[in-house]
Amino acid sequence: MDDAPAPVRIAACGCVTPFGDATATHAALMRGACALLPVAVLGREGGDQVPLALMPGRALDETAPPDWLGAVRRLHAEVPPGDWGSPGRPVFVTGSNFGVGGLYALRRTGDTRFAAWGAPPTCTERLRLELGWGPDVSILTHACVSAHLGLLEATRAIEAGLAEEALVFSFDFLSPFVAGGFHALRILNSGFPAPYRERATGSIGLGDGAGFAVLSRTRGDWSLRGQSLYNEMHHFTSNRPDGSGFARCLEGVLGAARGRRVWFKGHGTGTLEAGRMEVAAASIAFPGAPIVGWKGGLGHTLGSCGLVELAVAIESIRAGRAPGTVGGTGDTMAPSVADAGFETGPYDGVVCASNAFGGAHAALLLCHA
Amino acid sequence: MLERHIRLLATDDAGAEAPAATRERLKGAFPPGATRRMTTLGLLVGSTLARLEPREGDAIVYASGYAESCALEAFLDSYPAPSPTLFQTSIHPSAVQQLMIGRQCAVRELLPLSGGTLLAFHALRTCLLSPSARAILCGGEERGTWLLEHGLASDRTFAFAALVSAEPARDAAGRVRISRGEGRGELGLPGLFDLLHGKAPFDGMIAPGWRLQLEWS
Repeated sequence: MDDAPAPVRIAACGCVTPFGDATATHAALMRGACALLPVAVLGREGGDQVPLALMPGRALDETAPPDWLGAVRRLHAEVPPGDWGSPGRPVFVTGSNFGVGGLYALRRTGDTRFAAWGAPPTCTERLRLELGWGPDVSILTHACVSAHLGLLEATRAIEAGLAEEALVFSFDFLSPFVAGGFHALRILNSGFPAPYRERATGSIGLGDGAGFAVLSRTRGDWSLRGQSLYNEMHHFTSNRPDGSGFARCLEGVLGAARGRRVWFKGHGTGTLEAGRMEVAAASIAFPGAPIVGWKGGLGHTLGSCGLVELAVAIESIRAGRAPGTVGGTGDTMAPSVADAGFETGPYDGVVCASNAFGGAHAALLLCHA
Repeated sequence: MLERHIRLLATDDAGAEAPAATRERLKGAFPPGATRRMTTLGLLVGSTLARLEPREGDAIVYASGYAESCALEAFLDSYPAPSPTLFQTSIHPSAVQQLMIGRQCAVRELLPLSGGTLLAFHALRTCLLSPSARAILCGGEERGTWLLEHGLASDRTFAFAALVSAEPARDAAGRVRISRGEGRGELGLPGLFDLLHGKAPFDGMIAPGWRLQLEWS
């Protein structure tokens, strides 16, 4: 994972969130907008109201076929045409939900139409046919670092000469399955997320989202460097208290970032211990770098957050201004947490990080090619 | 072409064994009391993986099409009061984490895959692309119950773990190579397991345009 002499480039990148495409999402976050609304955690079956960001017009309850397909098709229309899924142009699908909402609906209703998209292999195969991809479509799924794994594997396939270009495509859409699960863990509660802010109780919000990136050896304005992973295996849902696992992950980016002035786009779900751990590790690894987190506006787009927020980071650099940390008021966990938007001109790149269950960490450096 | 040497191999074909019998058979591979909350797949993958003594610098590539089907079924049945424990356990790649968290054994790279008829190719490609000196390819499935009736779970229970390295070794168990080729083919995870479990040589297409050569010492 050293900084390669000819880093793989991003030829195209985009996302779709409840705000719209990457441009609209960036603009909304610059305004400090929040797509999260209180929604009953089990959809039509009720339950506590929790903050969820759903695509406009979409209910939490699953439909058959899934009503999130429209958003996926709109996003895919932005992907440059090509024989995706052929041997030289593989597709790496990532995410953490796939069609799992269909399993919930299947079990609750007994309606077998919900089974069709239920498991990652069946969901991805249907998506492959829907989007006209060839057979070389692999699936990487590791909770909230999933998208980073797709970017890493696509990079390796290109660097090894196995692919000319690769498409990484990630999607996560909410359902009572995932909302109920996070609610059971008590981190999805009635509070709205306030990433990197000191307060009595941590809260997260969840969001619909999808993103893509076309990686290429030869074309593109952006490059990915220093892609790094680390799995601390301390606990299923928490990190080592000393933050050493995330610090080990960031070590993998340091070489690529050396001599560059960077800003830091963190995971920032709104949980307190993880937020403090992120801020502490990022402040040590990248002193002076402004830290931002966008899940207070977008919600946590789960396995796809790495790609959704990468697209927003690219849009930020393109527009010359990055959104500050969205959500909440009051004291931040460190002075380096950026409340307000800032000019990206003085910076040479952005470190984008994600964290997941099991103490899984991922980070990369995005900069101009 | 990508090529690695198979240094160690562990497989477990649970066949028609009942989950309780699997738990009883494998409980000695884990600390006392640890197996109580482990899934059948966690027991199988964990016990095969443990025999390879994974280290922090290793890359672990984990393949399972349907993963923790029984925990997923139980989690879905726990609504309208969903179980937080079953939620955690049902998330891919729980089977690997059950062993590694129990051992407090960090690992640099964990690359979990799902998939269908090309899963063996994708898992092998991921493993053989790893720059780590030692990479472990592991995987497995557990037989589902009501999810299986809908074609959403495996009908077999098995697990494997193979330690591969770039450097040849005198004691290597075999050699694995994937390369571009002409023709079409498919190899799912059960097919790869059967090759590994039987130490069967193989030379053929496992995906459109991709050939696998598997040789044993």
